[in-house]
Amino acid sequence: MRTENPVLIIGGGPAGLRAAVDLSEMGIEVILVEKRNELGGAPVRWKYKTLAPMMRPTEEVMNPLIEHVEKSELVKVYKNSIVEEAKGNAGNFVIRIKNGLDNRVESLNVSAIIVATGFEHFDARIDPRYGYGKNPNVIGIHELEAMLKSGRVVKHDGQPPERIAFIFCVGSRDRATNPWCCTVCCGVSIKQAIELKEILPDSQIYMIYMDVRTFGLWEKLYWKSMEEYGINYIRGRVSEIYYTGEKLLVKGEDTLVRGPFEVLFDMVVLAVGMEPGQGTKQVAKALDLAINEFGFLEPKHPNIHHDSSKEGIFLAGACVAPMSVEEAIAEGSAAAMQVVKLLHRLAKPIEAR
Amino acid sequence: MSKKSKKKGAFIIEREYIDDQRIIEPEHLKLEEVDMSGRWGVLVLPRTIEEFNHSLYEEIKNHPRGRNIHKCWQCGNCTAACPVAEENPLFNPRYFIHIVKMGYKLELEKFKDYIYLCGSCGRCSEVCPKGVDPSGVMEAIGTVLRRYKL
Ligand SMILES: Cc1cc2nc3c(=O)[nH]c(=O)nc-3n(C[C@H](O)[C@H](O)[C@H](O)COP(=O)(O)OP(=O)(O)OC[C@H]3O[C@@H](n4cnc5c(N)ncnc54)[C@H](O)[C@@H]3O)c2cc1C
Ligand code: SF4
Ligand code: SF4
Repeated sequence: MRTENPVLIIGGGPAGLRAAVDLSEMGIEVILVEKRNELGGAPVRWKYKTLAPMMRPTEEVMNPLIEHVEKSELVKVYKNSIVEEAKGNAGNFVIRIKNGLDNRVESLNVSAIIVATGFEHFDARIDPRYGYGKNPNVIGIHELEAMLKSGRVVKHDGQPPERIAFIFCVGSRDRATNPWCCTVCCGVSIKQAIELKEILPDSQIYMIYMDVRTFGLWEKLYWKSMEEYGINYIRGRVSEIYYTGEKLLVKGEDTLVRGPFEVLFDMVVLAVGMEPGQGTKQVAKALDLAINEFGFLEPKHPNIHHDSSKEGIFLAGACVAPMSVEEAIAEGSAAAMQVVKLLHRLAKPIEAR
Repeated sequence: MSKKSKKKGAFIIEREYIDDQRIIEPEHLKLEEVDMSGRWGVLVLPRTIEEFNHSLYEEIKNHPRGRNIHKCWQCGNCTAACPVAEENPLFNPRYFIHIVKMGYKLELEKFKDYIYLCGSCGRCSEVCPKGVDPSGVMEAIGTVLRRYKL
């Protein structure tokens, strides 16, 4: 099937890439606009070592998508670019792509749009109890990913940490910050704890949680961490982290014994949540899309992510709600399917639609 | 707990808020030749947990019937099924497992006489979703505590 106008995909993360691969494999031309200077979205940007739950190397999942898109003659990639404006209707939108490096603007006609602008990590500096950005050795799970990938996990003084705490729900499930659950950071933290234990077998690792939400098959990671890696779990929430000049004093309550604790750690890893980033806000504004009370893009029907509030514009991935890579990829495919349906319908004579 | 000693720290105001185990009352205490025995020498340990100590836990893991203790995720199904816990609120296998795992020694001392109340009926082990064998773990805890003459 050939249409005159290509399909626009905004965002080159797992969801957007998958949509681009599917459409181009069906012979449809694609324009892929990515704000950053590389494709791959969060897994590539933050250098994830492996992907939960199967702990496969990130490259095994991401590289085939990236390579396909970069090689395909049907996909034209605009990096360092955003879509400034979109006017028109399903079948014929006029869009303006702006390159952030040289400010060049290009106008194009596209038939349909898929928005896959993903998420940003919660900025832990906003919640002062952790002293993130001030206390040394308090890091985010996104920063630990890159350390794990390099195979070298060390404190600021170059020494390996002996006792490490992971704090779940940082910035999530809290009225003062984001009230939603990020859905993957429990599983990601546990995956990282296992990887840490492999690099530093003598370390002691404590997961400080309110609930452990390893949904579906991700549960396997939780069992494995306890049963095979001896990782400890403490139910509670941290109220304060204080740097003694040498170690981090972590204050919280072990709610299973009704006992307040103040214990020294060498390193604290914050399971920072997911939130709609500036990129998603920008698209919502440029395309005049509905957003929900949390700032995520709002689908037309609450249980069907792929239809946006506007005909001809489809949604996929973590710009709709926090989700895993496997879900983002499936949503990319689902959005591509909706585009094909639309193009099919538009190709018919009007009376037959 | 129930056997709160009347003598220990009896002079302390709101004495009932403090566990016996946290009151240290040296019989003879001399500081710089001055006899500080009695009231002035009494020390109350803080309630705050200051350390996780896994030495006891490791020993229990090495006991043949305690070797699955690390699988416990604190659901409390064992306590819910336990006929002893039904009668005695101070007997709580779920809780004993946790304080042993985390090495809360004072807390363990507080409950040391209750661990032996386990009747070995095995109902907890039948219901435990993680295959911890809590009944066996109770036996292992008892054995290890005896080793330390606790
Ligand atoms: C630390 C951490 C570890 C994780 N590890 C795992 C894991 O092991 N397994 C797993 O399944 N999931 C994991 N996840 C979740 C995973 O990162 C997401 O599910 C996935 O990245 C979502 O894909 P996406 O394509 O929707 O969004 P993203 O990956 O966020 O990609 C969106 C892309 O859109 C671009 N963009 C944004 N705004 C614009 C704009 N306005 N214009 C143009 N481009 C724009 C961005 O630059 C980005 O490249 C993890 C998450 C975190 C927080
Ligand atoms: S996935 Fe886990 S860590 Fe993340 S917000 Fe939900 S419960 Fe908290
Ligand atoms: S039933 Fe098993 S897993 Fe649950 S608290 Fe008891 S020992 Fe632990």
